[in-house]
Amino acid sequence: MLYDIRLHLSYDYDAAAGGGRHQVRVLPSTISGVQRVIAASLSFAPAPGERSDFSDFFGNSVTSIAFRDVHDALDIRMSARVSVSRPEIGLDVSPDIRRLREELDAVRSLSPGSPHHFLAASDHAGIDAAITAYARGSAGSSAVSTAMNLCNRIHHDFTYDGEATTVRTRASDAFGLKRGVCQDFSHIMIAGLRGLGIPAGYVSGFLRTIPPKGKPRLEGADAMHAWVKVWCGRDAGWQEFDPTNGMRASNDHITVGHGRDYSDVAPIVGVLKTTGGQVGEQAVDVIPVVLEKA
Amino acid sequence: MAKGNQKKLRGKPLVHSLLEHYQPIDGVVDEMVDASGNPRPVWKDFIEALEELGPEKLGQRFARADQYLRDAGVYYRVYDKAGANEREWPLAHVPLLIEEKEWADISAGLVQRADLFEETLADIYGPNRLVEKGILPAGLIAASPEYLRPVVGVRPASGHFLHFCAFELGRGPDGRWWVLGDRTQAPSGAGFALENRVATTRALSDIYGEMHVHRLAGFFRRFRDALNGMANVSGGRVAILTPGPLNETYYEHAYIARYLGIMLLEGEDLTVSGGRLMVRTVSGLMPVSVLWRRLDAAFADPLELRPESQIGTPGLVEAIRRGAVSAVNALGSGLMETRALLSFLPKVARELRGEALLLPSVATWWCGQESERRHVLANFDRMVIGPALSTRLAFEDDNLTKLGSALSDEERAELIARIERDGGDFVGQEAVTLSTTPVYVGGRLEPRPASLRVYLARTPEGWTVMPGGFARVGFSLDPTAIAMQRGGQAADVWVISDRPVERETLLPQEHDSFTRTMPGSLPSRSAENLTWLGRYIERSEDTVRILRAYHVRLAETSDPEIPLLADIRDYLEPFGIDVQSAIPSGLISTLDSAVYSAGQIRDRFSPDGWLALKDLSKTIHQFAETVAPGDDATRAMTVMLRKLAGFSGLLHENMYRFTGWRFLEIGRRLERGIQIARTLARLTGTAAPDGALDMMLEIGDSVMTHRRQYPVQAGRRTVIDLLVLDPLNPRSILFQLERLKAEIALLPAVGGEGHMSLAAKEILQLNTAIAIKEPSDMTAKALDDLANEIGGLYSSLAKAYFG
Repeated sequence: MLYDIRLHLSYDYDAAAGGGRHQVRVLPSTISGVQRVIAASLSFAPAPGERSDFSDFFGNSVTSIAFRDVHDALDIRMSARVSVSRPEIGLDVSPDIRRLREELDAVRSLSPGSPHHFLAASDHAGIDAAITAYARGSAGSSAVSTAMNLCNRIHHDFTYDGEATTVRTRASDAFGLKRGVCQDFSHIMIAGLRGLGIPAGYVSGFLRTIPPKGKPRLEGADAMHAWVKVWCGRDAGWQEFDPTNGMRASNDHITVGHGRDYSDVAPIVGVLKTTGGQVGEQAVDVIPVVLEKA
Repeated sequence: MAKGNQKKLRGKPLVHSLLEHYQPIDGVVDEMVDASGNPRPVWKDFIEALEELGPEKLGQRFARADQYLRDAGVYYRVYDKAGANEREWPLAHVPLLIEEKEWADISAGLVQRADLFEETLADIYGPNRLVEKGILPAGLIAASPEYLRPVVGVRPASGHFLHFCAFELGRGPDGRWWVLGDRTQAPSGAGFALENRVATTRALSDIYGEMHVHRLAGFFRRFRDALNGMANVSGGRVAILTPGPLNETYYEHAYIARYLGIMLLEGEDLTVSGGRLMVRTVSGLMPVSVLWRRLDAAFADPLELRPESQIGTPGLVEAIRRGAVSAVNALGSGLMETRALLSFLPKVARELRGEALLLPSVATWWCGQESERRHVLANFDRMVIGPALSTRLAFEDDNLTKLGSALSDEERAELIARIERDGGDFVGQEAVTLSTTPVYVGGRLEPRPASLRVYLARTPEGWTVMPGGFARVGFSLDPTAIAMQRGGQAADVWVISDRPVERETLLPQEHDSFTRTMPGSLPSRSAENLTWLGRYIERSEDTVRILRAYHVRLAETSDPEIPLLADIRDYLEPFGIDVQSAIPSGLISTLDSAVYSAGQIRDRFSPDGWLALKDLSKTIHQFAETVAPGDDATRAMTVMLRKLAGFSGLLHENMYRFTGWRFLEIGRRLERGIQIARTLARLTGTAAPDGALDMMLEIGDSVMTHRRQYPVQAGRRTVIDLLVLDPLNPRSILFQLERLKAEIALLPAVGGEGHMSLAAKEILQLNTAIAIKEPSDMTAKALDDLANEIGGLYSSLAKAYFG
């Protein structure tokens, strides 16, 4: 699928901010076997005094900006054309949890894709006894089936509620509330899998909206989206699951970044005073592009 | 016991009576005596020298050492239920003696270890061959909070990860030294080692002089030169980064900064601009290229490391990635402190260097591996078991690290179940027995368990080892009581040579060339704190003067309702000064604020200045408990005035006349100008009660001058003439303005050379305007306006220099 994606983040500060430094992670990058970025641009208003781009540890594109002058608002606009083409989901070749453990021990690598980075507790997705017990109820005969069961159960058991949590909510708190948004569901799923000894990480990105044709609209559209990647053993590798929608990641899922949890891929970090909710305002358009045949 | 015994001892030959009751523990090595109770060779002369002094003199000598530490204000911070408190440094007076030859072995072992750590870090943050070959488990490193992903792949600008390390050693029952733990993050204590040395030699200077003890100063000089050398290559400055005054070892940060002449900064002093790390100074942004950090790496940059850190500098990691600054030690170096890594070091040493470890680590098993886990469970009772990723020493970590044999059946079953389930989270370590060293208690020597902390610093010629360090000594025979946070003591360590040693000092030698360097740029935060220190001290003095004048009169009339006293009461009330209490809480908090401001910049104070200030604060708090209004309060205020004058005198006579002093002086002059103007407005106004003018002269400390200058009784015009317009009266407003004009003109230029700053323009205008005034112009309103205009000067200065 080919998409044109537009993202607009805008922040108004209660009091004018005198300078500041931020890191912005909103640019999709090319991921072999998943997606290709054909063109992308990122702009800021007011124009920052300094700007530089680099790739972080996990390979995400980061734009670092700094302001010297006083400003009371910040506008970030990203647009990109991305082609997504994920492989067909094949037969489940993933091992059970015991064998997964052995395969994991055999991975002698700390490269960014190594599952070892995704097993230990992280800030937002700590290992939590209650979540682990919940996840144990989803344990299947293989890593993939365990992940799929847990993904579906979270989709079923939790209520989507944009008011219940904030960007700082941790998995354990959201789990207690039984509500939240894509970020919370992803963190709960990650924490649950880690509790079972299955490496799991956080994926941030966009989700294409399917126009309603008697069917309910997919939640999470028109905002940035998040889902979960799960290491399913040596042969199956990383597989992606969307607990917000109870599905595998499809060609409707466009990836921006990977990390251990939200804090590794937050769209913007820095010294920001935002009013109320998660961001000042966020507008996302994901438009499928149909190339006309010549 | 003491007295009777001492009398008996005096009659006897003095040889070795100190050893008479000295009883080492069975099966434990003692540093001073061998298995048959005879003093080891290196201790023999030392004990005899102590004997010769006798208990009385020895007691006096040791008291002298304690006095030194109190005078120098050496403290560390303890966190307990009551919060963070300053504690006096607990010096164990008897040094630990180590023979030079044994020290050479320790040094060689630690140099090897430091080199090994350097290579290990370079591999983990670089090509990762140790993981690839299965020598280090990937899962263990990936799980460590000290493995910092933002600096993976970043080669340190200096070429090295490690520049300053410390190692904690203990001597086991077999007589060998073992490494108990490694300090590679931001080792503390080197400055305390120096203070231990100074204090101990105060007590035992003659013995020290005769015993060929290796000196410590050379170690610090070589490291300072190494840091300056690193900075010179890149053309920036060296700075020490501290978490701030609430840190447990802040005293030491300030001490080392002062001792080595290095800027002491907090995270907020720094900013990143154009990819370079800069310090905000009163002369603008200045590059910093070497950062000796005393804060944990995870807190160094809220943007890329722990986002909740309030003590970091946003962008620091970016500056490091660009090679613009060398961190000492590199961010991520703390990884080598991970307890579980101890179990892999022998293999890593073989792999990287083809060597065996010269100094073994305390035996450690990581339960993430099947056979190691079995071993720990099979030997549970002999093990100390704790978190695999802990970076604390086992005996400093008693919340989480447990001795297997000390657990109840229930705890034991639970811990075993957890190890079976999540083995990777745990390490078992052999429970160590430390050797004992003598402490002097109640007139005799007693054995106490001790561990040794040794420091290594990198120089262009390689590692240099501090010949000494400090020993941590328990208060009881319980080896876990060594940790400072739990009330251990610290002893000096003497490395004894059989030949005379080189006397080293930090001062340049006769033949060294020298250049006169001006003090570095003053960090903005320091300038702000100095200004406020000046203001708070002056405000305290002005308040004390008014209160004294009040209580003198109260004592005479004993009627607080007479118009003059009622007027003073109403005047002071809005400033939080309630005259009904002899020592008003507003005055106490002003002095506390002065202490606080000074505490933020302790590296800029001599110990004398700091003690004088602490004494002021202590005195006022004591007075608050005891002093009654009237006569009593008058006397108390006189004491306060004398102490305030003492403190001011110390600063005035001893502070180098550069930018720092200038801001302090500006603060004082601003505040005095404001206070005099306000008080004058009240006491010389048309509605002022009887006696107000005389009181004003008294508050302005100008009674005698007035008597000499004007052959008449105090009148409104003469009082204003003397206290506003007389340029020779150090209490007059014009005098303050003249001083402010002079000092502000000498401040670093802002907005380009040759341009007058806004503050400089304002003070020039104000000074000129007042210089040409007549006493009759100075109405109460004019005086109030003047106070506000002087206050406005502060805002202009703050904007130009403290922003």
